[in-house]
Amino acid sequence: MKKALTIMLLVLFAVSTVFAGGAKEKAADGTFKVGIVQLVQHVALDAATQGFRDALKAELGDKVVFDEQNASGEINNCATIVNGFVSSKVDLIMANATPAVQAAASATSTIPVLGTSVTHYAVALDIDKWTGTVGTNVSGTSDLAPLDEQAKMIQEWFPKAKKVGLLFCSAEANSIFQVEEVEAYLKKAGIQTQKFSFTDTNDIASVTQKAADWSDVIYIPTDNTAASNTEAIANILVASKTPAICGEEGICKGCGVATLSISYYDLGVTTGKMAAKILKGEAKVSEMPIEFAPVTKKYNADMCKTFGITPVAGYEAI
Amino acid sequence: MTFLSSLLNSVPGAVSQGIIWGIMGIGVYITFRIMDIADLTVDGSFATGGAVCVMLIRAGVSPWIAIVCAMAAGALAGLMTALLHTKCNIPAILSGILTQLSLYSINLRIMGGRANQPVSVDKFNLLVSQRYVRELSLKNPLPLIILMTAALIMFLYWFFGTERGCAMRATGDNPTMAKAQGINVKNNMIIALMCSNALVALSGALLAQYQGASDINMGRGAIVIGLAAVIIGEVFFSKVFKNFALKLLAVSIGAVVYYLVLQITLQLGLNTNDLKLISAMIVAVFLAVPYWKKLATRKKGVKNA
Repeated sequence: MKKALTIMLLVLFAVSTVFAGGAKEKAADGTFKVGIVQLVQHVALDAATQGFRDALKAELGDKVVFDEQNASGEINNCATIVNGFVSSKVDLIMANATPAVQAAASATSTIPVLGTSVTHYAVALDIDKWTGTVGTNVSGTSDLAPLDEQAKMIQEWFPKAKKVGLLFCSAEANSIFQVEEVEAYLKKAGIQTQKFSFTDTNDIASVTQKAADWSDVIYIPTDNTAASNTEAIANILVASKTPAICGEEGICKGCGVATLSISYYDLGVTTGKMAAKILKGEAKVSEMPIEFAPVTKKYNADMCKTFGITPVAGYEAI
Repeated sequence: MTFLSSLLNSVPGAVSQGIIWGIMGIGVYITFRIMDIADLTVDGSFATGGAVCVMLIRAGVSPWIAIVCAMAAGALAGLMTALLHTKCNIPAILSGILTQLSLYSINLRIMGGRANQPVSVDKFNLLVSQRYVRELSLKNPLPLIILMTAALIMFLYWFFGTERGCAMRATGDNPTMAKAQGINVKNNMIIALMCSNALVALSGALLAQYQGASDINMGRGAIVIGLAAVIIGEVFFSKVFKNFALKLLAVSIGAVVYYLVLQITLQLGLNTNDLKLISAMIVAVFLAVPYWKKLATRKKGVKNA
């Protein structure tokens, strides 16, 4: 019995080593070890991680090695992964997405942690008086697109719109934050709003239908679930002739008319440059303010044609 | 060598995560082994525990009161499943799934409509935090969670020795027989599900503090980890641990083993895209071992005869 078990465990280790297949890079003396913890496999998050690696490699060359681990969407794995980083004494942790940053921040107060793809650090880390700098061992970049400009953009593209439906996934903290901000701006402008939240892929169609029936225009924030289901949303919006303004380029490409968005790759690059400064000793993480990525204005030419909308000047086609 | 030392260094973290999940495993043990039903409520009630605890702590309530309230909320979730099962005659597994589903919305309401609520160790006096897991101080979470687990095991050992506890065990073993003895089977089911989910919520409440946030998705896959803890514990200790209290201890150790194996595979540099596959493999292997063991002994028996 015990023998069987030992063999079983050995097989398991052997298998996992095979899976590992040189994924781990060895750290030589005088090099920096950077742990990357990413919440889930996702186009935007992957792009941010890639940008981070490219920027840091460009700055430090062979002097940096990465240990990149993905929690595969299970939040509890973030704690396990970060525990591994802290115990192998990495020089810096890059945490991609809000739960990853929370896990890293609660695991260490000494190793510098740089977050990315986090919308709002004050919300994620529960900071009362927000000054733009976290002030502890945590800093990073925010994927917050300028929400006031997005709200203005709705009026710019659809000056006659009276009712704006806000479509998002209730499981995503960042979406709720964005929707509330945009709602406040729109209300100030005297536009009626209503929230339409879906819980997952299964009820996205019926909620979108409800939203399309009620609204003149729909606003979709930077929302991971919406991003994975643009086709389902587009099928309803096109049929009911309801245009959508989106918080992010990927969603706009699939089901929206126009967007004012950021590139996650650029966001990762910005984070990588911050990391280089910390590792070279040029800056202290506690003094670094949260940085943002530059904004781009884009429109979806196919959708504009379908809805018969003339694109507003200053926007470029995706 | 650096690999070994970093592995050794990661042990306290993996162990505390394991012990916290072990409490959840003990909850699963009550329904899965004692009552002989698979209760899927836990994926929801785990997050409920985290949500209630974090919201109360954020509102300035003492963390001790917060975890008690979290347990009460978990018990209510268990009650809901139990009522669906006993009063509406819905199969246990489906009742659990229904409750789990509804808890998603309820948890969102508890967390004020947000999917993620942080609770920072810098701001609140948390009971357990990953921050101090390697420190030799009173803030280290390990002593507290070990004590808690010990107290829980002692309480359950006492409870399942009482008349009510014995009746519950009889219900799980053979409901028809238990009914014939005049035992109220339905009431026992209700109590078991409430106890179990209270423990699961406690585990969720501790884990939320440990990792610094409660999240709407934190219970996803919880049942798998709970079952893994139960089964790994049995595989390792079923020969040695015959006493009921020791069997519960085995569950806790099972959870620790699960997290150690996971940590080691991660440290080995496993491609984390394969994480779910590896988790499933760990559980499948441990589930299969008892069956193979039985086959092997049967063969031996034939030879001897």
